[in-house]
Amino acid sequence: MRVFALNHFLNLFGHTPLARRRALWGIALILPNTLGLFFFFGLPILASFFTSLQDWNGLKPAKFVGLENFARLFTDSNFWQAFGNTLKLMVFSVPIGVVLALGVAILLNQRLPGRNIFRTLYFLPVVTSTVAASVVWTWIFQPRYGLIGNLLAPLGLRDLQWLTRPDLILIPVAVVTIWQRLGFDMVLFLAGLQTIPRILYEAAIIDGATRWQRFRSITLPLLSPTTFLVFVLSIINAFQIFDQVYVMTSRTTLGGAGGSATTLAYLLYKSGFTNSEFGYASAIALVLFFVILGFTVFQLRLQRRWVYYESRES
Amino acid sequence: MYKKRHLILLVIAGLLFSTFTAAPSHAQDKPTIAAAKCAAPGTLTMWVWDEVWQKTIKKSVDAWVKEYCPGATVDVQQHPFDQYWDLAKTSAASGDLPDVFNMSQDRFLEYASNGALLDLQPYWDKAAIKTDVWGSGLVNPYRYGDKNDLYAGPVNWDTVALYYNKDLFDAAKVAYPTAAWTWDDFAKAAAALTDSAKDQFGALTYMEYQGGYANWIASNGVTPIVDAKHTQCTLTDPASLEALNYLKGLQDKGYMPKVSIVGGSSADDAFNFWSSGKVAMVSGGSWKLPDAVSKVKFNWDIVQLPRSPKTGKSHAILHAVGYVASAKTKNPDLAANLLQFLVSDEGQKYFADAGGVAPANPAPALQKEWADSFGNSGKNIQAFVDATKDSQGVTPFGEIWNTMNTDLVVNIFDLGMSVEDATKKACDAIVPFLNKH
Amino acid sequence: MQPDEQLPRYLDSGRLVRLLTFVILAVGAAAMVLPFVWMVSTACKPSAELNRLPIHWLPEQAACLENLQQLYQTSEEFNHYLVNSVVLTVGRTLGQLLTCSLAAYGFARFRFPGRNLLFTLCIGLLLVPFQAIVLPEYLLIRQLGWRNTFAALIVPGTFSAFALFLLRQAFLQIPLDLEEAAQLDGANPLQVLAYITLPLSVPALAAFAVITIQAAWNDFLYPLIVTTSAATRPVTIGIALLQGERNTPFNLIMMGSLLATLPILILFVLLQRYFIAGVTTTGLK
Repeated sequence: MRVFALNHFLNLFGHTPLARRRALWGIALILPNTLGLFFFFGLPILASFFTSLQDWNGLKPAKFVGLENFARLFTDSNFWQAFGNTLKLMVFSVPIGVVLALGVAILLNQRLPGRNIFRTLYFLPVVTSTVAASVVWTWIFQPRYGLIGNLLAPLGLRDLQWLTRPDLILIPVAVVTIWQRLGFDMVLFLAGLQTIPRILYEAAIIDGATRWQRFRSITLPLLSPTTFLVFVLSIINAFQIFDQVYVMTSRTTLGGAGGSATTLAYLLYKSGFTNSEFGYASAIALVLFFVILGFTVFQLRLQRRWVYYESRES
Repeated sequence: MYKKRHLILLVIAGLLFSTFTAAPSHAQDKPTIAAAKCAAPGTLTMWVWDEVWQKTIKKSVDAWVKEYCPGATVDVQQHPFDQYWDLAKTSAASGDLPDVFNMSQDRFLEYASNGALLDLQPYWDKAAIKTDVWGSGLVNPYRYGDKNDLYAGPVNWDTVALYYNKDLFDAAKVAYPTAAWTWDDFAKAAAALTDSAKDQFGALTYMEYQGGYANWIASNGVTPIVDAKHTQCTLTDPASLEALNYLKGLQDKGYMPKVSIVGGSSADDAFNFWSSGKVAMVSGGSWKLPDAVSKVKFNWDIVQLPRSPKTGKSHAILHAVGYVASAKTKNPDLAANLLQFLVSDEGQKYFADAGGVAPANPAPALQKEWADSFGNSGKNIQAFVDATKDSQGVTPFGEIWNTMNTDLVVNIFDLGMSVEDATKKACDAIVPFLNKH
Repeated sequence: MQPDEQLPRYLDSGRLVRLLTFVILAVGAAAMVLPFVWMVSTACKPSAELNRLPIHWLPEQAACLENLQQLYQTSEEFNHYLVNSVVLTVGRTLGQLLTCSLAAYGFARFRFPGRNLLFTLCIGLLLVPFQAIVLPEYLLIRQLGWRNTFAALIVPGTFSAFALFLLRQAFLQIPLDLEEAAQLDGANPLQVLAYITLPLSVPALAAFAVITIQAAWNDFLYPLIVTTSAATRPVTIGIALLQGERNTPFNLIMMGSLLATLPILILFVLLQRYFIAGVTTTGLK
């Protein structure tokens, strides 16, 4: 009986001695990072799960309130507004951002005068100070004196209030999100493009394939693991938009007039640190966590349909 | 519990409206507030914000160690101003607030009502310091408990007056403003100074809480936004609506630019707009004096904000930064002794020298030293000192800051919402946070 | 060495296409670059020229050196902050290179029970914004007695779900033939990783380096809660300390930001040469 159980257990690790040895190697390899991650980030996340069941202002002892914070979420119009804003920003910024980054990476992967300079320029937003970004982007969207207002002046839109009108504010925030993200995604795509074996292109040229055909049947499929990575990370990033809200709204009304640019990440920060409702903030964080988790698991499952891996485990 | 607190807060509210009392006259040799030797040296941790402040405070702390408490060590830690309150919350939640730290009037009640702060009243009493030596606007927002104990040592004050561009007045042949001006005089001048062909506006005075509209509400006889007890939203009071409608009327006539045109909703944005010569009159803080003296290229001066025709008063918002000690400090006597030095004539010398915001200690020599720190500017700096005499301390608090500081301003002065709708909306957002402190 | 010479022919394109590409890229680059330009120009504006309206792009009287001096006068420890940033960044990057490449290799090449679940959980950790765990993270570091130490700044940062994800995706893009050949020759997994897989992943490693270094260098909120003095604080905090309650010295803040940005830019320029087609020579099936 006991032997049977042991065998059963061992079979989990593989059916041959070699497979078992490789399983042990695998576990040993992932162990340091996994343990470290769970200790330094997993534990705090668990702690915030407990906080979400409490009423705590940070100064007085916490009080256990069960699921009250979650119940409150469902009737809180601020929460639903932030949820909607976050989804809208994701829908605006992720597809456009990924396509632009891919386009720029492909353009910057060919012979071109000043290519290295271009790559550096496209990387600049990643390292530009948030304060500078805030000043300049506010000016770009400022009515009357700003760049866009003057470009759109012939259409009679010189005084359009991009940064204060609740129905417009998400556009500038999405633009800044794409702007800040582009260089980051470009770097990932550039790295991915390098691993595509050049012989495939050479063979395709001999077969008379056009540029578009080469892009469709070589670049896209072989780049798909990187595209997948960029998509997953961009969606995670979109759900956590925070700095970008600050950049576009810090000079008018933080979080947009009437909360029109408030995202979930921004709302949870405000609930915790401004309003001293740490339990409620943790509840928002948990809901945010499960929503992104849902999206990510969905993508991990969907990847089998479109992501092409050169290799899998042996 | 609540009943008792209401009563206390009522008393505080009463005191808030009382006037800023000038320093009782002292003999020249006797300091307004004296420092004292510490009983026994020890170790303290102290939090301050920003580089420039840190240097001034460090000098003051070093002087305390040298003259009054040899052997003591103070670890002065500086934190970025923008994240200071987040850090304070993080520390408080973990039970390790520093022994002594910077406090702001709008944050005080939250910490005091949760028992996080040391009551300094016994120490003021022991040192025979009468707390009414400071003007009420400076210290009343820092009082708490059934006996109105003073929990903070006020370090500096700043308030608001009207900065005006003399060149634009001359060009439009309008007489310079005086402290006797009423809102009607102000409106007439704003009209005469507006020149839409030149993209020039008459005035810009509605911006955020302290630099803007709240001064007009206060002058009209209401504690702006919320009462001192944090129990009701006063924005929908008739006198508040009247003040806001007066300002909106000026904008509707084209005398004041919209928020988006200015490029931001802060008092700083308004001040920059004024210093670019695009607007003739702006309400600005005394903290803008160093900037104005060194940067503004046209002729300018300062005068008190105009008087409400209803009350006949000009009633500007005043804010004072204070120092408090943690309730959990292991060294309360030493912390209180350091605080006493920081607010004393000797300790405040360093703040007066530094210029910028004025020292809280009312000793005439210190106030003169502060005014002199701007050099022989020939400007009416006295306007600010006069403004403190009838001033309104800060009553709103962190949770509602965004609503009243920017949301309300943008709704009325950029998106054109009616004052009635915008104030109702703001009160709806403010009410859930009332009665919490 | 002229990198363009190495480019394979199929990446060459007609002159017209190239001109068009150039124009499109140039227009895009202008948008990318504007805030940075303002940052540089403001770093050189005398304080009298700050806050002018409308925005003005060039200082009338450049005061770069004066501002630099003023920066060091206001922030006496600025160099110290820079050094701390270097230590933090180097520590985290080397640490991640070690722990994350091992883990990524483990997840990419080995089958073991619970693998997919564990991987999903690791990625799950990326999903919680740091703002949500500031308090417990602070308590954890305090409990370890690590406040105001380099251990606090470096150790937690040596574990990364992001780098794990990036490197795993990169390893999965590499064909197996060379690795299998090495295994047949008796190499153990660590040797295969060190001598075969990593050298084949140079572009991905370069991307990892750029992103990890940049993230560590720009980290702000976490160092802010675990440090209290110039002994350990990175430059991001040094810059934030320049902001006053009542005044914003934009020129000093931009000068500080510029000094902090240059090392990362130089690094990017240096690492760029690894983003060039042809570094990998595999795929010759």
